[in-house]
Amino acid sequence: MKKLFALLLVVSMLAAAGANALAAETTAISFAWWGGDARHEATQAAVNAYMAANPGVTISTDYGAWTGWEEKVSTALYAGTAADINQANWSWLINYGNGGKTFVDLNDYAEYIDLTQFDQSALDTCTVDGKLNGLPISVTGRIFYWNSDTFAKAGIDFPKSFAELKAAGEVFKTKLGDDYYPLVMGEYDRMIFMVYYLESKYGKAWIENSQLQYGAAEIAEVFDVLKELEAAHVIPSIKTILGDGAESLDKNPKWTDGRYAGILEWDSSASKFQKALSNPDAFTVGEYFADLGAYQGGFTKVSMCFAISSTAKDPVACAKFLNYLLNEKEGVELLNSQRGIPVSKQGLSICKENSLLDPLVAAANGKVVAWCQFKLDPYFEDAGLRAENDGVYYDAQQGVSYGDYTSAEAAQILIDGINEVLAK
Amino acid sequence: MTRPTAAPVLRPRTGRAYARRNVGWLYILPWIAGFLVFKLYPFASSLIYSFTDFHLFKGITEYGVMNYVDIFSTRKIVAALSATVWYALTTVPLKLTFALLIAYILNFKIRGQNLFRTAYYVPSILGGSVAIAVLWKALFRDEGLVNTLLGYLGIQGPTWLSDPAYAIWIICLLRVWQFGSAMVLFLAALKGVPEDLYEAATIDGAGRVRQFFGVTVPLITPVIFYNLITQLCVAFQEFNGPYIITNGGPRGSTTLIAMLVYNYGFKLNEMGMASALAWVMFLAVGVLTVLSFLSQKYWVYYGDGER
Repeated sequence: MKKLFALLLVVSMLAAAGANALAAETTAISFAWWGGDARHEATQAAVNAYMAANPGVTISTDYGAWTGWEEKVSTALYAGTAADINQANWSWLINYGNGGKTFVDLNDYAEYIDLTQFDQSALDTCTVDGKLNGLPISVTGRIFYWNSDTFAKAGIDFPKSFAELKAAGEVFKTKLGDDYYPLVMGEYDRMIFMVYYLESKYGKAWIENSQLQYGAAEIAEVFDVLKELEAAHVIPSIKTILGDGAESLDKNPKWTDGRYAGILEWDSSASKFQKALSNPDAFTVGEYFADLGAYQGGFTKVSMCFAISSTAKDPVACAKFLNYLLNEKEGVELLNSQRGIPVSKQGLSICKENSLLDPLVAAANGKVVAWCQFKLDPYFEDAGLRAENDGVYYDAQQGVSYGDYTSAEAAQILIDGINEVLAK
Repeated sequence: MTRPTAAPVLRPRTGRAYARRNVGWLYILPWIAGFLVFKLYPFASSLIYSFTDFHLFKGITEYGVMNYVDIFSTRKIVAALSATVWYALTTVPLKLTFALLIAYILNFKIRGQNLFRTAYYVPSILGGSVAIAVLWKALFRDEGLVNTLLGYLGIQGPTWLSDPAYAIWIICLLRVWQFGSAMVLFLAALKGVPEDLYEAATIDGAGRVRQFFGVTVPLITPVIFYNLITQLCVAFQEFNGPYIITNGGPRGSTTLIAMLVYNYGFKLNEMGMASALAWVMFLAVGVLTVLSFLSQKYWVYYGDGER
């Protein structure tokens, strides 16, 4: 019996030693992102290819839809259980960055990531307290898209100026019926439009140096414009949109069947709106309105970035994998433009050489980058402001649309809410 | 003079006897561990956090009653509190009434009785289902099934989901529709009402309605009371329906207090405020429960003749 016990002990010790040796050779990385099916498939393919090329690395993945993703990740970041590599919204670097401590400083891993492929201005926007907390993936901005079929049915071309847009409302109502609108804008879209309008007219960024640059009169002016657009049948009221009961605009039957004929959307999100149309070929990139003012209003922002959690056990391995995704041929080819037009010069060049860019996304992004002169302040996307139905943007925009607030009251609510966030 | 009592005999404690005496603790250890970790600790820590400005990423910088002051001075929170109280006080009586009514009908010997009982109970099984909430949303959107059917009758249906006056009723309707669990308890209680009481009431000339209010209801008041308490607790914690169907809108009309706890805790990361809101919710349920218990002596009849 004693001999048997001794034998078992020796065998188990040898097994443990073997397992330890194996573990020492294997690097485990966890990687999390949000997105749609196409992004999941492309990213998983890149992960599999990387593991095949690097047998010592295993990458576990966690992905899902956007809804609820931010809450899940923020809680995990706090608890120290977040994935090693996170696809992060740009504003997360500040909101959850804890002064640059939540994510590693990628400057420390410049040996493994070719940072020279990124414009310094893009890197600067991902820098918090002097620490490069995120690697920018793409730059995006909002631009108009039109359903050319519906405009053809109305007998007009899609609008190229604000005056043409305003005139289109009456044409749609008369020729197509009450259900047809040339443009649809929800609460957050209206906020983006407000900023675009004000920047075009007054030439000031929305927020600069943590200060809101516009006063109550200027903001109230845009609320009045939005009310005029509703009254002129250019945009449906918020009540109409909520009554549609759609999860999101791209899933709204009125968008898919062409009753809503225009959107103001991120260039990086255009594909899902295009695919939702009964005739995707009718989806057309619009123009910025030159008649809004003397300035080229509208803003660009880093749409998303990759960040390495400070809890990552092997940040070097993570850094090498990120370089593969954004700068190396195989990774870039597999990811293509699933996260927008790459910021990485090398990544962009590979995509262009291999015709991997979605032509529509590329065209829209080209217009955005060429037109927009302003940058977005990360606090614009603070949860207290933009949280659906709960944030200040929703309160002010819904309040005006429902007739609960005057333009002046809504402007003051907006200013107070923004100042409260900026003061934190 | 009293004789001194004999000192208890001290028996030697053996390890085996000790283990036998205390083995019960081992059996309930998993429950105790779960209770301490997942109930008591969060319960106690949330009370402490409620008196701080605890933010997940900024930590604690201030202690005091500021969260409670904010709760009763912030427009949207006060609105959510009153909406929650309104929701609970509307849905619970409606749900209990429906459940009792249907249980009373199903208590008669009718053909297909079991099928009907199952059909009425099924919505309760699907109670927390996200799919049902999504279905509800599809039913009541402007171009949904309900308005389409109303349209066939020549009626222009209202904007159920986007009109603050209607939206809260859509949420209430979902909860009231899920009356199955209360109905099953009522059915069991109705079975327990002695037949001879009905016979006596019939001889005395009481009709069905008189029998219902004079015999049935008084005898099942303990179950009505039980259902009242449990349904009140559930109603105050309602989250899925408003979150999925209206996301708290329009104009905050369906933002109930459980949604605000979630929003503050997980969207804004303000755990201090979320904890305070949870405690206000707990106290509100507690007060209503205590009031209900105090009131039972006036209307609840127990079998042993006590009230």
